[in-house]
Amino acid sequence: MQHDTQDTHAQQEHGGAPPDHDGGNSHGSGGHGQPVVHIRVQTPRGLWSMTEPEIAPRRPEYAIGTQIAIVIEDARAVFKFVEQDSRYTLFVNGAQLAPDRTLVSYHIAEDTLLVLSVQGGNAGRR
Amino acid sequence: MTASPALSLETIREELAAATSFATAAGLAVDAAGLSEDNLRFIVTFMNAGGDRFPAEFDCRDYPAYPPTIEFLDEAHSARGLRSLYPNVFHSTPCICARYNRKAYAERGGPHGDWRLVDWQLPTSNGVAIDSIAMMLSDLHGKIAASSGRLA
Repeated sequence: MQHDTQDTHAQQEHGGAPPDHDGGNSHGSGGHGQPVVHIRVQTPRGLWSMTEPEIAPRRPEYAIGTQIAIVIEDARAVFKFVEQDSRYTLFVNGAQLAPDRTLVSYHIAEDTLLVLSVQGGNAGRR
Repeated sequence: MTASPALSLETIREELAAATSFATAAGLAVDAAGLSEDNLRFIVTFMNAGGDRFPAEFDCRDYPAYPPTIEFLDEAHSARGLRSLYPNVFHSTPCICARYNRKAYAERGGPHGDWRLVDWQLPTSNGVAIDSIAMMLSDLHGKIAASSGRLA
């Protein structure tokens, strides 16, 4: 699984399922007793927040030790980005977030807006 | 011509309204002030990891029957199609090598003789279909924001 390397036509095998997690809110790595943040995620199919979309299987409420990969997985689920051969990357203020790092390692605070970029393949060098 | 200017304009306006939320969150500047039936173009400025700016013109004549022609411009919007105007993640033609870019098709001088313009909204392999302006901005933003440097 690659989320953060440069793209080429020969490197279209991206995406894939992030590591398993226990689902639900306040999930992620080592969530017990950790502070929780409520974030927002803008995707090309809409905003994911505590109130949007009106019907969502989960909300962006996370223990601060949650891995970025889990946030990506959840945002994909909410907006039904099921395709595996795409690349899904989170950004905050223009900076790319590594999927294996945690929210707290990027000092993600309450109500922070993240951006989920979805790459569909093809664009790149040949 | 396969889509009337009126249809193209209506479609572009509708899709831009949805795409603007993504663009704003991603820090992309969208300039659609000159959009009209006679000028079906708008400009989106992307930034790479080094902070370099890349204005890109979306020429949407015949949209959505055909994809837009996407071309990088200089800051003055006077020069276009030069390798020095492209982020270094794209084809060296230079060209954004994607189904959603009309310039990528062989019939338009691009490298892809294996694609048909009418199929531009199809996904490639098992990837997400890039079938709207918001998805185009997302795809380009993801690639350019993670890159550094120019093709030349």
